[in-house]
Amino acid sequence: MGDESVPFLLDQGTTKTYQIPIGHLDYKFIEKCTDVKHLEKILRVLRSGEEGCYPELTLFCEKRIEHLDPRSRALRKDKPAATPSDFTAEEWETINGELMSWVTEMNEDDKKPQFLRTDTLHERQDNLPPIRCSSSCLPANQNKTLQNKQRNKKNIPRDYNEWDKFDVEKECSKIDEGCEENDSKARFFSRPSLPIIEKKIDTTGMTKKEKIFVATREKEKGNEAFAIGDYVEAVTYYTRSISVIPTAAAYNNKAQAEIKLQDWDSALQDCEKVLDMDPGNVKALMRRATVHIQLQNYQPAIEDLNKVLCVEPENTIVKKNLVEIEKKLKGLKPVSETQGKGRRILIQDIEDSEDDEERGENTEERERSGREKKIGVPVGGEAATEEAEMGNAHRKFHSKGGGSKAEDRDTQKQKESTECGLKKETSEKKSQKHLSDHEGEVNGYLHSDQKSESPEAESSKSHGAESQSGGGGSSTSLPPTAAKLKSEGNELFKSGQFGEAVLKYSEAIEYVIGLGGQSPDDLSILYSNRAACYLKEGNCNNCIQDCNRALELQPFSLKPLLRRAMANESMERYRQAYIDYKTVLQIDSSIQAANDSANRITKTLIDQDGPSWREKLSPIPVVPVAAQLHRWDGGNFTSEKQPTSTTDINREEQLQMNREKAEEKFKTLKTAGNDFVKKGKYEEAVNKYSECMKLNTEECTIYTNRALCYLKLYKYEEAKQDCDHVLQIEDSNIKAFYRRALAYKGLQNYQASVDDFNRVLLIDPNVLEAKKELEEVTQLLNIDSSAAAGSQQKQRKKITIQEVTECDDQEERQFAAPEGVVTDHVTSKEAVQESVPLKTSEKLRISEPSNAYDFGQIINAVNTNKDKAACADLLTIIDPKKMPVLLSNKLEGEIFLIFIQSLEYYLVGKDPGLVYQHLFYLSKAERFRVVLALLSKNEKEQVQQLFNSLSENQNHQYTLEDLESLKKVYEL
Amino acid sequence: KIEKAKPIKCGTFGATSLQQRYLATGDFGGSLNIWNLEAPEIPVYSVKGHKEIINSIDGVGGLGIGEGAPEIVTGSRDGTVKVWDPRQKDTPVANMEPVQGESKRDCWTVAFGNAYNQEERVVCAGYDNGDIKLFDLKTMSLRWETNIKNGVCSVEFDRKDVNMNKLVATSLEGKFHVFDMRTQHPTKGFASVSEKAQKSTRWRVRPLPQNRDVFMTSGGAGSLHLWKYEYPAQRSKKDSEGVEMGVAGSVSLLQNVTLSTQPISSLDWSPDKKGLCVCGAFDQTVRVLIVTKLNKV
Repeated sequence: MGDESVPFLLDQGTTKTYQIPIGHLDYKFIEKCTDVKHLEKILRVLRSGEEGCYPELTLFCEKRIEHLDPRSRALRKDKPAATPSDFTAEEWETINGELMSWVTEMNEDDKKPQFLRTDTLHERQDNLPPIRCSSSCLPANQNKTLQNKQRNKKNIPRDYNEWDKFDVEKECSKIDEGCEENDSKARFFSRPSLPIIEKKIDTTGMTKKEKIFVATREKEKGNEAFAIGDYVEAVTYYTRSISVIPTAAAYNNKAQAEIKLQDWDSALQDCEKVLDMDPGNVKALMRRATVHIQLQNYQPAIEDLNKVLCVEPENTIVKKNLVEIEKKLKGLKPVSETQGKGRRILIQDIEDSEDDEERGENTEERERSGREKKIGVPVGGEAATEEAEMGNAHRKFHSKGGGSKAEDRDTQKQKESTECGLKKETSEKKSQKHLSDHEGEVNGYLHSDQKSESPEAESSKSHGAESQSGGGGSSTSLPPTAAKLKSEGNELFKSGQFGEAVLKYSEAIEYVIGLGGQSPDDLSILYSNRAACYLKEGNCNNCIQDCNRALELQPFSLKPLLRRAMANESMERYRQAYIDYKTVLQIDSSIQAANDSANRITKTLIDQDGPSWREKLSPIPVVPVAAQLHRWDGGNFTSEKQPTSTTDINREEQLQMNREKAEEKFKTLKTAGNDFVKKGKYEEAVNKYSECMKLNTEECTIYTNRALCYLKLYKYEEAKQDCDHVLQIEDSNIKAFYRRALAYKGLQNYQASVDDFNRVLLIDPNVLEAKKELEEVTQLLNIDSSAAAGSQQKQRKKITIQEVTECDDQEERQFAAPEGVVTDHVTSKEAVQESVPLKTSEKLRISEPSNAYDFGQIINAVNTNKDKAACADLLTIIDPKKMPVLLSNKLEGEIFLIFIQSLEYYLVGKDPGLVYQHLFYLSKAERFRVVLALLSKNEKEQVQQLFNSLSENQNHQYTLEDLESLKKVYEL
Repeated sequence: KIEKAKPIKCGTFGATSLQQRYLATGDFGGSLNIWNLEAPEIPVYSVKGHKEIINSIDGVGGLGIGEGAPEIVTGSRDGTVKVWDPRQKDTPVANMEPVQGESKRDCWTVAFGNAYNQEERVVCAGYDNGDIKLFDLKTMSLRWETNIKNGVCSVEFDRKDVNMNKLVATSLEGKFHVFDMRTQHPTKGFASVSEKAQKSTRWRVRPLPQNRDVFMTSGGAGSLHLWKYEYPAQRSKKDSEGVEMGVAGSVSLLQNVTLSTQPISSLDWSPDKKGLCVCGAFDQTVRVLIVTKLNKV
């Protein structure tokens, strides 16, 4: 500690460089100092050694800074390159070893004969895009190319400014007069919001080495995109990498990215691919488990996680996940846990195995008789229309993640079924199309389906038992023979032999029926199970039939309803499916699959039937409270909804569904309305708004908008009603008040109008239009004389003012309807915005601008508009003496001219003294000389004329001599 | 060893296929030559593209990097930036030149970027007065420009062949700027973060080919700095008018070394071996370095 005594002694004085008190170079000070900047300075002084060399103190200071700010730049030190001696022997060994092995590897590659030379080169060159600029001409025609090139030379822009001006379209059309113009347009002007990246890489002519190189690069790009959270891009690059060389790693990464995007099915598919290549891949197993959990396929998830545990028994994440799944399963089915495991899976799987076989066959009849008397099922023709729209609907499905899954599975099933030749599909053509659409995916699914088979079988076994557990009884009541047949069926189902399972179940059913008098529960379960098999087989019609029977025996039992819904959905009888799903949801709102499907179908139906799709639906049967309570008693469900008021639930759901699509419709209607207003078609606008109101009675803007239209149409009474309505909802809607005031004015109820205007001003005292109107109305009230001609005039005025308020409002900007003066300015949106200041200046007569900026704003508005009247007003309120200050250096020819004109037209007659003052002070403004020098002859004449009028209107404020001298200043 | 009449300033393999490996060079006389290194006597392509020295050259479309046509861009002291297609003789396919009368700035550096599909491509050029200009070759327009106050020694996209992600520009005074090129605000342009390594000039910047967020700068005092760019939580946000604008991340120093007392003027990474890099300095030495533990970054 010898060092530190020195700074103590030198307490006075400062360091040379930073003027830091010497006393600061001290352990105690440094320890307490929290100012990093200061410490950095101290460190620099210490390091420089100008105050002496204190290595320990320097070190201490460094540590202190590091403690305060580990990233401080002062801590950066130049370091020499590391040499072998900097590493431990082992580290160096590894580094060196790696390098050496890489070098040998590279050398080996170099030695390998380099085949694929010239020919492939040519091939690749052919694939290259054309040379820039001459790209829009046909490369085949040599002469033409040359010609174009010459022209191009002339056309190539030579400097930046030209670059900006470069009219590509014109250039293109010059080059190839009309031909391929569209092409070039597309090429130059389509700037898509999302970058289009080719999903595949052309690998013709690439050596294997190159391919590996490219694939790795693409994968790296994917990784980078993934790292920053751009998962869509990541997936694209992984896909590219795979297109070159499919590697497990790329698939694995892609799966992870897809998980992030919640594209569960693609993720599943990719995991399967990885596991195909590398069955023990832990990451893939984990990821597949994640997907399964998300899809609520808990059983396979558990299996996967267990597999991971076999490899990595210590993996905590896996353990945690397992515990979570257990919990979920418990939550799902606290009573019959083991059975419960399968339950959801079953639902999921069945959903997956949809088919639209035998669509032509009319099953409606059966369905109706089947159960739920209330469902009025649409008949024959309807099915046909659905068929026609099928492709469409499907495509839409595909675009959104959730829906695509079912569909893909469904196609796969179709394929299976066609192959098996179980049934001749009436809609074979359709399905063929599907197949070609999804061929890519199908392969993946073949695999995934197999995987999911096992859990499902289990579920089906259990299913029979527990699905009806609400009924209190389980399969125990079955006679032993039937029970045996049933369990055999379940076994077969489990192993994927659905056909055989059907036979077993059928036997069991026959047996049970033969016995007679058996409880309907069991029979229902058997039917339901057989339905599951049919569904698996893709035999939707039989499935529906069985479901109907099951439901006959056991109305409102969950499984058959769900299965029927799925069968219907796969047959694209969306309406029936929707109803079934909804019924299911009434029974148990927590069934995710049903929820998802219902939402999906809603969208499809909206696409199909338009906004009034709901009208085409038959009423959804109301599930008796008993059935729901039933469920509750069974303790099977964790339904969140109170089962007491089913109708309410029903309505609520319906409302919610309604809202979704209503919103869309609402918006379109509103915009349509706004557009009409813009065009001045108020009648149509009113119609649109009225339609809007049908959808949403809450939205105030619609009412205020309609009120505006009514005002324009002179329908004051209606306008007033609309405003009243708004004010009921929102008692301080300023627009509503304002418009009601106008309406009252139109109705010649001046007192009420005055009241409303006052309220407007109470809410916002700055609404100058209101002030003005108020004055006007007050006058009218006083005079109480209503001249017809005058009122007409006033109305016009009113409306223009109206527009000004609209402009202020973002939402209703479109409203600024072109009329009168404004016409020129409302053509484009920007213009509307611009018209705000203009209007203000016009109507307000502007409060006196306090500074040059305000003034500049107003002047700009006035100038763009060439509004001399407003300018004259401006000039009246401004003290001429201030003019040079306000103008500062902004005086321009245009402004000058408009001043002169306004003075000439508006002010000379009224107040020649003021005009003189203005002219006098204008000449004192900066840039006055420049502007004057640039005036054209014509413009000079205008000035001259103004002076002439001034001398004519001479008054006491100036003498002719003054005028003459001023004239000289103006170079006249 | 091949000797040519005119001293060569810069070169690139960027616009040639992995098999051909033609070297494109720019020399002190303003000529662009493409050489087949196995028959180096006569250039395969030669054009006197500029009136003065070609300071910088970059290529794209070859080596499996970048979609679209192989193109070479050259930046010269005569103030022009020209894009060449080896398939078109004598004339550039694009020429970017200051307006007549405007003072011609010395173009020090050029770089290709955004070549993620066949159409899209941009050229970024840095000038001695600190101007950075971004030319869009698809629309043939000046897409963006800015000034970083000091002469721009080197500009480089983190990847040439992805949708523009980041641009690093180094300057005379030791500062470098990282621009997030994903979100362009109509008035504010691209968001950027700047960092000062040392007082000395940053001569060169090179992103690691295996990880675009890691890059190395070489400095006037013979030092190399290895940096990592960290993205912000949100790369873009809406400004007060609801227009998307970029948000810059931060740069952290991973490592630095001083190799020489002379400036290190050139630098490149190995595309094959992660972390292997080579640099050339004014002390007439070429050094090969290996950066370890990059996979832990």
